[in-house]
Amino acid sequence: MVAAAEALALAAEQRHAQRIAELAASRKSARIRRWARNGLIAALVLWSVEAIVIGDTDWSRITLPGVWSAATRFIDFDASILLEMWQPALETVLMATLATLLGAFMAIPVAWLGANNISPLGRFTYLMGRVLMTLSRSVHEVVWGLVFVAAVGLGALAGVLAMAVRSIGFISKTVAEAIEDVNPGPVEAMRAVGANRFQVLMFGIVPQVLPTIIGNVIFEWDVNIRRSTIMGLVGAGGLGLALHRQMAAYNYGGIATVIFTILLLIIAGELISAWARRRVI
Amino acid sequence: MSASTAPLLSVRDLKVSYTAGKQILKGISFDVGATEFVAIIGPSGAGKSTLIRCVNRLVEPTGGEVRFGGVDLLKLDEAEMRRQRRNIGMIFQEFNLIDRLSVMDNVLTGRLGYMGNWRSLFRLYSKDDIAKAVALLDRVGLIDHLDKRADALSGGQRQRVGIARALIQAPRLLLVDEPTSALDPKISREVMGMIRGIAREFQVPVLCNIHDVDLALEFCDRVIGLQDGLKKFDGPPAGVDKHALADIYSMEVL
Repeated sequence: MVAAAEALALAAEQRHAQRIAELAASRKSARIRRWARNGLIAALVLWSVEAIVIGDTDWSRITLPGVWSAATRFIDFDASILLEMWQPALETVLMATLATLLGAFMAIPVAWLGANNISPLGRFTYLMGRVLMTLSRSVHEVVWGLVFVAAVGLGALAGVLAMAVRSIGFISKTVAEAIEDVNPGPVEAMRAVGANRFQVLMFGIVPQVLPTIIGNVIFEWDVNIRRSTIMGLVGAGGLGLALHRQMAAYNYGGIATVIFTILLLIIAGELISAWARRRVI
Repeated sequence: MSASTAPLLSVRDLKVSYTAGKQILKGISFDVGATEFVAIIGPSGAGKSTLIRCVNRLVEPTGGEVRFGGVDLLKLDEAEMRRQRRNIGMIFQEFNLIDRLSVMDNVLTGRLGYMGNWRSLFRLYSKDDIAKAVALLDRVGLIDHLDKRADALSGGQRQRVGIARALIQAPRLLLVDEPTSALDPKISREVMGMIRGIAREFQVPVLCNIHDVDLALEFCDRVIGLQDGLKKFDGPPAGVDKHALADIYSMEVL
C-alpha cells in the first residue's frame, strides 16, 4: 500500500517536472516567433523605402537651391486676390452646412437599420445598415465628388451631394451605437403604456440619443468645412475651385493666399463647433 | 362562472423559460379581484419581476393563460396586445421616466396608446388629456413642478411622476414593480401609501412586487409568496407568520 502510494506521488512529481520543462521550452519558441515577426516587419519597411522612396524619386531634381527657390515662391503672398476670397469662402461654408444637414437627414434611416436592438427586420436590415455605413465611409470624398460631378455636372451641388453622402457613415454609425447603448427603462415604459413601434422610438429612444446626434452633427459640420475646401479640385465649387485656378495659372503667391484663407476658415469652424458642442453637451 | 363574477385578472399555469432549459416560472396560478391590492413577495431571483411582466407581455410567457377582463392576452397579436396594454398601468423600480422631457410631457406619454403617429410626433395632446395630466400631478403633489425636466426631480418625486403617468391611462389594473427599491425608507412608505390611496380612490386593483415584507404586510390586502418560480403562499397578510416566511424564503433560512 505504502509503496503504491509512493509510486503514485513520484509519477505526479515527474509529470509536474515535465510540464515545467515544456513550458520553459515553449517560452523559447515564443521568443523565436517574436524575432521572426519583427524581422519580417523590418524587411517590409526597408523594401518599401527602397522601392518607393529611393527608386521612385527624381534625385537629380532635389538640390538645395532648387528646393529652396521652389518653396520660397509660395512666400510671395498675393494680397491682391485676398478680397476676392470672401465669396468662395462663403460658398464653402454654405456647402458644408447644407451637406451636413442633408447627410444628417439621410443618416437617420441608416442608423435605424444599423442599430441591432431596433433594426426593423433583424439581422437582414442590420447588415444592410452596416453595409451602407461602410460604403459611405470607405469611399473618399473626392471620389464621391467625381461621381456626383459626373451625375449632376460641375458646381457646388455636386460638392454638397458628395459631402452629404460621405457624412452619412460617421453620423449614422455613432448614432446607431448610441441607440444600442440606451437605457432600456424608458423603452419598457413606453411599451407598457401601449405605444406602437414608432412611438417607442420617438419617446423611449430619440430623447436619449439626441445629445449624441447633435454633438456629432456639429463635429461633422467642422469636418465638412475642411472637405469642402478641396471639393473644387474636382470641379465641385468652393475655395477648392479658387485653389485650382491659381494652380492652373502657376500663381504661387495666389495659391498661398487661398491656403491662408482655408486655414482661417478651418480655425473659425473649429472654434465655432467646439463652442456649439459645449453648449449642447 | 359567469362573466360578471369572473375575476379581473386570472393567471393559470404560467410558465416562462428564458434560455433553453432554465425555467423562471414553473406553473403559477392566481386571480386578482376587482379592487384587491396584492403583494408578491419572495427572494431575489424567485421570478417576481418576470411574473408581473408576463401580465402585460413585456416578457413573453412560454405557456399557460393570462385572462384579463375575460380575454386571454397570450392569444393576442401585437396590435391587439397594444390596445390591451392601454388598460394596464405600470409603475417601475427605476421610475423609467424620459429624463430630457418635462414632468408634464412624461405624464402625457401615458396617452400615447390612444394617439396616432403624427399627433404623437408633434406632441399634440388633446385639451382633455392636458387637463387630466395637470389634475393628476396636483393629486400626487407635483403641481409646482410641471415644466421641470424629469431628471431635475428627487427620487420620490420621480416615482410620483411615474404614478401619474400610469394613472392617466385610466387603467383597469396597476402593475407595480418594486416601487420602493430605489428610495429611502421614509419616502418608500409615502410612495406605498400614495399607491394604496390612489388605488382605492380610483377603484383599481394592484399587483405589486415588493421585496420588503414589512411594507407588503402593512399596505396590501393579500400576499402571494414566490420561491424559485413556484407559488409557496397565497393568503391575507395575517397569515404570513414565521412558518410561512420560512417556507417562502427557505433557501435563505437554511
